Amino acid sequence: MKLPSSKSIRARLTLWYVAVLTLILAVYIAVVFFFQFALLERQIYHDAVQDVETVEALLFFDPAGHLQLQQDYFVHPQNRLLVDRLMEVQDLSGQVLYRSSTLKNFPLDGAQFPGEGTDSFNERTTKLADGSRVFLISHVHPVEGHPLLIRLGYRLTSLEGRMLQFALILLLGLPIALIAAAFAGYGIARKALSPIDEMADRAESITARNLHERLAVENEDDELGRMARVFNHLLGRLERAFAELQRFTADAAHELRTPLASVRTTGELALERNPGADEFRETVSSMLEETIRLNQTIDGLLILARTEARQVGETEELVSLPELVHEILKLLEVVIEERRVSVSEDHDGHPEVPVCADRSFVRAAILNVLHNALKFSPPGSRLHIAYSGVTIESKPAERVCIADSGPGIQAGEHERIFDRFFTSRNPDTQLSSGSGLGLSIAKLAIDRCGGRIFFDKTATEGACCCIDLPVGQCPPEKK
Amino acid sequence: MSIVSPRQRILVIEDDKKMARSLREGFDERGYDVQVASSGEEGFFVVFSFRPDLLVLDLNLPGRGGLEILRQLREQALDLRILVLTSHNELEERVQGLREGADDYLGKPFAFSELMARVEALLRRGQPTTPLHSLAVADLILDLTLRRARRSGTSLALTDQEFDLLLYLVENRNRAVSREMLARDVWHETSRFTPIDNVIDVQMARLRRKVDEPFETKLLYTVRGVGFSLREPRP
Repeated sequence: MKLPSSKSIRARLTLWYVAVLTLILAVYIAVVFFFQFALLERQIYHDAVQDVETVEALLFFDPAGHLQLQQDYFVHPQNRLLVDRLMEVQDLSGQVLYRSSTLKNFPLDGAQFPGEGTDSFNERTTKLADGSRVFLISHVHPVEGHPLLIRLGYRLTSLEGRMLQFALILLLGLPIALIAAAFAGYGIARKALSPIDEMADRAESITARNLHERLAVENEDDELGRMARVFNHLLGRLERAFAELQRFTADAAHELRTPLASVRTTGELALERNPGADEFRETVSSMLEETIRLNQTIDGLLILARTEARQVGETEELVSLPELVHEILKLLEVVIEERRVSVSEDHDGHPEVPVCADRSFVRAAILNVLHNALKFSPPGSRLHIAYSGVTIESKPAERVCIADSGPGIQAGEHERIFDRFFTSRNPDTQLSSGSGLGLSIAKLAIDRCGGRIFFDKTATEGACCCIDLPVGQCPPEKK
Repeated sequence: MSIVSPRQRILVIEDDKKMARSLREGFDERGYDVQVASSGEEGFFVVFSFRPDLLVLDLNLPGRGGLEILRQLREQALDLRILVLTSHNELEERVQGLREGADDYLGKPFAFSELMARVEALLRRGQPTTPLHSLAVADLILDLTLRRARRSGTSLALTDQEFDLLLYLVENRNRAVSREMLARDVWHETSRFTPIDNVIDVQMARLRRKVDEPFETKLLYTVRGVGFSLREPRP
């Protein structure tokens, strides 16, 4: 069934409701009509059989040998009911012995057909020569020793007329009922949906400025209440994300302004001093260095945005942590050698299982962490990498911890160190700080893989950064 | 400095005036015949009057966008190399640009030396090249088949990584290469935010110790704020 599409749910609901109701009522009317019709037919049959029995008792041959019907109304009062009775009697040779006056000399269904009325009362409908439909019942009965075929018929015209009237009443009632139902349905739908309109109005008025506003929840437990609650949660998340974005934008602007200011000052001073060629070269080099720093910051911000936006599920594969760590150690080999850092590895003996994650994400994270650890490692110190099996929320996970012998992390900075553009108050580490985005990228990358990254607060010497990644089933079609 | 003869023609379609001026000066200094167009429509006509060998096309143009110009030029089936410049350095855009018929793609901001390297490579394309077995700069000789380097007859003990780095510097001799170029072309780090700058610096220092320190003439130079460069000593 195709309904015209409408912009309002209320109208659509009402349309559907009326359509379904029409269908149900139509079926109902049809069933009632035919049931009633069948019932009346049964009644006629029953009456007719009784009538045949009565008539059989009233037939006699007069002395002239003509078949007669005893018309004694007072002896047989029920006969009175049968004024419109059509009756024909034949002998078995087909000769018509009696025909009621109501038949106006029309034959009642011609000659006997084989077996008609011999065993039981034979019922059927037939048509008279004048075209009127007749319910016919026949029976063979002996009258004074002569077996006779008695046919009784009743015109169906009045029954059909009554049934037509009945159908008309039912069909006339249908549109009235439907119109009433449509109005009621429309009203009910309006009442049920009115909170949605209110919510929409309210939601429309919420902008970035008043993100703290919430929708009113009338009934917590019904569908609309649930929707309002979900909506409010969404607003909450939006509000937090928006606040974070604002903070981030401010930080980013600051981080971009600093090198810009440096470029500007360097340039201005150089022009003021009217330098020689060498000093001029020096100035330009310094400015170029700052532009590289600017570019790295922008790249970092883009990576963060892209990591945040990327769908992880499609790019997951099985990743062996020790293998990845070795690959990165190989990349950093020259730095390790140059700083004379000795790297030791330790497995806790559990069977190593590959994790299911986006390889480039995990690689970026481990590279950043290892790079940091190396950066802060004093020459000749030790870097310890430990692998172990742990559980995250009762699911198995692989952990890799990277411990350096550097200045470590100041109390209270273990979490904030992952913030974007975070720089420690620790003077030992400030000199070698980079873009301030490395660890944020690492954290976001690991978070997106369903893992976690943290600095061990119990580490006494140096910093110890641990990465946990869940051991999961990768989709089978991917390696 | 490369000798270009006869002068090859480069058309720059770039709407940023400063950028256009720098590119014109840069190409001009290196001996190319340069013209600059500041919009797609203008550029489209200059292509037919100027008949450049190479087009440097900025994708972010007012009016007709760079991609559209690219498409229309490619429909003309001209013998024209196209290098696309853009600040939207996303992978998808890069792929789209190359699919539309760009020969190469460079994201802004770029090192001018890298642009030069790519321009030269594009202009060389199509010219017959004989596979090289060795490369020489002054007294430094690289054997490409055996992957060995010698200087003044002394064999240099280089690791694979060091050889690749030296080879890249020799191929780009007299031109500064940025750390970004090295990370991508020598270390094959695809991510632009991989902190391997100090890996490169350390590797460079080691290479210098082996290639330059024992010898009188220095070949390797650090160009502060740009990167590194291997220069042929002036006679």
